[in-house]
Amino acid sequence: MVTPSGPSSAKANRLAEFRLIPRIETFPVVVSFAQTSLGKVVLLAAFGLGMRYFLPDLPSVLTLMLPLALITFLPEYRRFVLAISPIAIVAMQSANDLLTLGLTLAVIALGIFLYWCAMRWPQSRFGQRPVASLLIGFTALILLARAATPRSWPHLILWGLVGALASYLWFIAYALSDRNSKPSEELTLELAAFRPLWGSTNTPFPKGAAYLRRIEAKNPEQLAVFQLKGLKLLVWAILLAVLQGLWYRFFHGYLRIPMPDQALTMSVQGTPAAWHMRWACQILAYFELIFTFSIFGHRIIAVCRMAGFNALRNTYRPLSATTIMEFFNRFYYYFKELLVDFFFYPAFLRYWKRHKRIRMIFATFAAAFFGNSLYHLMRDWQIVRDGGLWKAIASYQVLFFYNAFLAAGLCVSQLRKRGPKPRGFVRAHLLPAVGVGFFYCILNVFDSDERMYPLVEHLKYLAGLFFIHF
Amino acid sequence: MKGRAEIREFVRSLLANSGDEGALADSDSLLFSGRLQSIDAVEIVVFLEENFGIDFAKIGFDKERIDSIDAIYALTQSVAKS
Repeated sequence: MVTPSGPSSAKANRLAEFRLIPRIETFPVVVSFAQTSLGKVVLLAAFGLGMRYFLPDLPSVLTLMLPLALITFLPEYRRFVLAISPIAIVAMQSANDLLTLGLTLAVIALGIFLYWCAMRWPQSRFGQRPVASLLIGFTALILLARAATPRSWPHLILWGLVGALASYLWFIAYALSDRNSKPSEELTLELAAFRPLWGSTNTPFPKGAAYLRRIEAKNPEQLAVFQLKGLKLLVWAILLAVLQGLWYRFFHGYLRIPMPDQALTMSVQGTPAAWHMRWACQILAYFELIFTFSIFGHRIIAVCRMAGFNALRNTYRPLSATTIMEFFNRFYYYFKELLVDFFFYPAFLRYWKRHKRIRMIFATFAAAFFGNSLYHLMRDWQIVRDGGLWKAIASYQVLFFYNAFLAAGLCVSQLRKRGPKPRGFVRAHLLPAVGVGFFYCILNVFDSDERMYPLVEHLKYLAGLFFIHF
Repeated sequence: MKGRAEIREFVRSLLANSGDEGALADSDSLLFSGRLQSIDAVEIVVFLEENFGIDFAKIGFDKERIDSIDAIYALTQSVAKS
């Protein structure tokens, strides 16, 4: 298609339409075959073979493929199988640790109980603000656990409960926020969405039961199409993983460009890498993060699609983003959705309604700064257990700066007045994408989970990239 | 009172902003399908606040209620009745 923008836009369109992996889900013959018994077996076998690339051994593959096979051949029992599978997997994994198993089951029961309470008493204080109540309750639990005498039974149980609840926290939050959607009395899907079969980080993939309900396959043809898309995505994840391996070998093995943490350590020790090596390191880190997030996200969503849900990808063409906001949306979609659902919307809908710009800035900081920081603090509860609340908060100074920087970038990206869209591939796509990449390269200087060095060392490293030394 | 046509026109402009000129039925999913993003949902919220006087802080916010032109129209009607 030639647009009024001219031949260069046509080129960009052709590039956008190019598919390394053919769109097999649009081939009627393939879709029909995938609905036959033989086709289902072939599809499952191919998917299992692909998952073997990521899973450590055959039993792990079989543990995943058995429920997927049941769902494929008996789709009417999909929700039941999905509700039972994660509990069965937890029971198998924690069979030798009865305390962990008991606490995990207790947390799942608590999640369902809170969901029921929010439904039963919608006008109560809890029913009005269930997610805020959950987060306050979790914080109170951490403080209570911190107050318990070390190495006592209450200490052990309370911190065990904190650990179990931390991994289910946002899943329960989605269940609570589902109380408004119809029909919400369906409990099996709520259970299925608690650390589902397809895996997740602490961020629920793909959100909660309300979303799953919307994207569930309604007939055999849809199931076949979704499963073919899942298989394609898995192949894509494998290709990226292979490419990532080659990338690391070439850039960090052969060319000896340091990893970001190594470059920072060298800088702190007073023996910084050469200037061009530090820049190379930052640019590579930008692409490496995209690799990492694409691979694990694709893998999870591939399994989700095999289970019969047409979930959106977690990472979708991040390099085509032409604004900071668009990149944030394309890079880690389900985390962004979590921040938007639980922090941005509540802030945006309640405060500063008469001041458009302040309203947007306030809501963006509520999500990208406050929500993002709270998410990481609650995820890393062990740091609070081992060092105390204030030490934990102090150790997060780099993360807080990262989040503030990101929030500021997102605000500018959303509020910037845009002129007419520039024409041509270079001005419309390439230059903005490079600008976005540059912002995230700089931001990544502060992206460190290690918390080894204070903020000032990161700032010195950043300044050094621009020949400023202090 | 503004109606379905205004809502349709507004949604079309949002889609056009993100380069989506594809066919659009009133029942088509906008947010859950990924055609519109969260930031577009914010635009829809502001549009409904300004043109229909809807206060989501009072009625509760649920993306399903703004996921299609039909859903948005139904929301405006239910708020108008109440």
